[in-house]
Amino acid sequence: MWATARRMASNRTYTSPALTFELTARCSVTRARASILTLPHGTVDLPIFMPVATQASLKGLTPEQLETTGCRLCLNNTYHLGLKPGQEVLDAVGGAHKLQGWNRNILTDSGGFQMVSLLKLANITEEGVRFLSPHDGSPMLLTPEHSMSLQNSIGSDIMMQLDDVLVTTSPDKARMREAMERSVRWLDRCIAAHKKPDTQNLFCIIQGGLDLDMRRECCREMLARDTPGIAIGGLSGGEAKDDFCKVVSTCTEMLPDLKPRYVMGIGYPEDLVVSVALGADMFDCVWPTRTARFGNAITKHGVLNMKRETYAADFGPIEEGCGCPCCRPIEEEGAMGITRAFVHHNAAKETVAAHLLTLHNVWYQLNLMRGAREAVIEDRYPAFVKEFFGNLYPDRSSYPLWAVNALKGVGIDLLET
Amino acid sequence: MTVDTQNQDSAAMRFEVLKGALKDGVAARVGRLAFAGRLPIDTPNFIGITSRGTVPHVTPDNVGKHLQTSGAYMALEDFIERPQRYSKRTPPIYESPKTPNNNTRLHSFTAMPQSVTTVLGARRIPAVSSPAGNTNASISVFTSTGFQDLTLKEYLSAVEALKPDVAIPLADLTNSAIAPNSKRALRMAERTDEWIVEWFASLSESATAIANASPTTATFAPILPVSYSMQWEYISRLAEDYLPTGQLSGLAVHDPDLLPDLAEHCAALLPLPRLSVSNPPTPHHILRQIALGIDAFALPFLNTISDAGLALSFTFPPPPTSPTSPSDPTPQPLAIDLSAAPHATSLLPLTPNCTCYACRAHHRAYIHHLLAAREMLGWTLLQVHNHAVMAAFFAGVRAVLGQEGGEAKFAEAVRAFGVMDPPN
Repeated sequence: MWATARRMASNRTYTSPALTFELTARCSVTRARASILTLPHGTVDLPIFMPVATQASLKGLTPEQLETTGCRLCLNNTYHLGLKPGQEVLDAVGGAHKLQGWNRNILTDSGGFQMVSLLKLANITEEGVRFLSPHDGSPMLLTPEHSMSLQNSIGSDIMMQLDDVLVTTSPDKARMREAMERSVRWLDRCIAAHKKPDTQNLFCIIQGGLDLDMRRECCREMLARDTPGIAIGGLSGGEAKDDFCKVVSTCTEMLPDLKPRYVMGIGYPEDLVVSVALGADMFDCVWPTRTARFGNAITKHGVLNMKRETYAADFGPIEEGCGCPCCRPIEEEGAMGITRAFVHHNAAKETVAAHLLTLHNVWYQLNLMRGAREAVIEDRYPAFVKEFFGNLYPDRSSYPLWAVNALKGVGIDLLET
Repeated sequence: MTVDTQNQDSAAMRFEVLKGALKDGVAARVGRLAFAGRLPIDTPNFIGITSRGTVPHVTPDNVGKHLQTSGAYMALEDFIERPQRYSKRTPPIYESPKTPNNNTRLHSFTAMPQSVTTVLGARRIPAVSSPAGNTNASISVFTSTGFQDLTLKEYLSAVEALKPDVAIPLADLTNSAIAPNSKRALRMAERTDEWIVEWFASLSESATAIANASPTTATFAPILPVSYSMQWEYISRLAEDYLPTGQLSGLAVHDPDLLPDLAEHCAALLPLPRLSVSNPPTPHHILRQIALGIDAFALPFLNTISDAGLALSFTFPPPPTSPTSPSDPTPQPLAIDLSAAPHATSLLPLTPNCTCYACRAHHRAYIHHLLAAREMLGWTLLQVHNHAVMAAFFAGVRAVLGQEGGEAKFAEAVRAFGVMDPPN
């Protein structure tokens, strides 16, 4: 299996043609890891949260502003870029980096998830995902080969295989098995169709719903294909958090140390902190940027809705002590001196309020992972987790049970005094 | 005229006419307008228009870094809404704290970079005409929660609290495309005249009370969009009562065509900086107003152009026309429509030689994509570009005017510019 991977001199480093993964540190209690991922467009510190620039733009932020948050890897959605600007334009322009003026790394999904989530009439066959064009209603087909071709045109640093996504809560076991097995077959087709393995990394996606045995089986099959990175997919679809944690934990247990592990579609701060403890490295979610547009600020004490009247004359920063360009003290370089009152004043009225909250929220998520990384390196991740939950909830009795249980499984007792 | 008489100085503001005639009347001139603690504004120039205290689509960091505008117009009506459930609340902006890095409430509330000069007016430019109309003590303003009255007293206390660099006193305006009849025009002048007396009385009172401890506000008195004969008493009062005392610092001109009359009848006002609040719709209108002696412009059309997906593409002076057919030059477009299909794969900057952030970091294909995808960044980048084109346009105007024989060269360049797409 992964032992077949070529290794560098050090046994803490894994190298494949377009990726190097270096394990920096490991938590002595939990499964948390700190590592450095080197991709074609630069290095990325893990664990990491990746903001989602769906249509090659992070919701009003300039690439320059996105870089100031420390972001070195963001998402684009293949489905959206396939529609606009379309493959021809991507080829003519020279890929998504060039299109959006972003010289850091990009990860793209396969496009399959959007078909299933956005298009009610999608129908999955062995050949691919059949759906009706949102443009003219004509029948179209997304195959693993087509997904690879699109992602090759996009030129993303990390590409995802096309998988057969099913909501994890689906009761149909037979269908779940079919989806898992098909995802494996589709990975083979993706690998065969991938035209630029030297400059773009293709990650597999582990499926299998909430059935842990099926997940294990899928892990074995996927690992045998030796992709440079591994994703855990099909989660964040409304399953119970306990089940989510069990799936992540079951998978990470089987995964090689020296490959990045990406849990798809995860974005709530609690989920990130727990998933890191369970041994995951990479996360993405539209929630932080979407909720910003609804006037919500993510803080270590929870989500604050800036539209509430209580913030109308609140002249403090969005979050005290936050280092983002909105919140950091006005005396500091690059600080804007944004107050809650100003965000309240323009929330839902001027796009600038959304841009400011987007900047803050992306910073928050990235900074949370920076903090987690430092804690792992200094081997105090359990203390970091406790502090995080202590800040988020007024008292221990209100800690979510799923988090308490999941963390207990990896050696952290949140309730211990 | 000596140079001295061309300088307009007050504690808060200094305006120097560097080049250009007072002579017999008004004409294009080059100057420098400087406010304590802000970047000086070389004139002729423009200031950006804010909506709710922000340049639309541009966050304050980008205003400071990438938006080449040294002034911002703010409308009080953007800050004083009364939400139904909190109708008794004090508008929060009045309580915004001042800090060493944000020395006025207006700056600190809006996070406007310190280098930017603020101009406060009661109403947005252009203002929505109100069905209620004005009274002897108040004007009707349009807030995000509807129309409400703004009394002169409230406006005065707002200026006192917010300390904009420039405040434009209340004017009795109809804000309608239809010119007021002479009875209404006379009423406008009378009310504005009464209000200016109260304005200066109140400001001088508070000025002595705080003994110059905090930044002061320069008053740019409105010149109404009615004929000179209707408002001559008001204008004379400005010249006779408030100019000598140094209380009057500039003029906010609603109709620049009045400037020749002003020069003829009230030459004492000529050294004052003139801000056009007349919403000129095209660069041709702007050039015409520069020739009439306007020093600074509030330019709402920039925001509109960006929202429409257009990138301004003109320069001043215009590029030389082709020598083969000088008599029949092809009109050049004033802006390019980035939603047009040919831009989809174009890696060109929005306009050749533009050095703005949008043109340096991006290309037409990206903006085209952002507009097609309705991504907000498209408007942000267009705002950056369009403000830069306008800044370069004014820099070009100043360069031409600054040359030997500048006035004639300016007139010539304006004629050449005229063959660009005429305003519609």
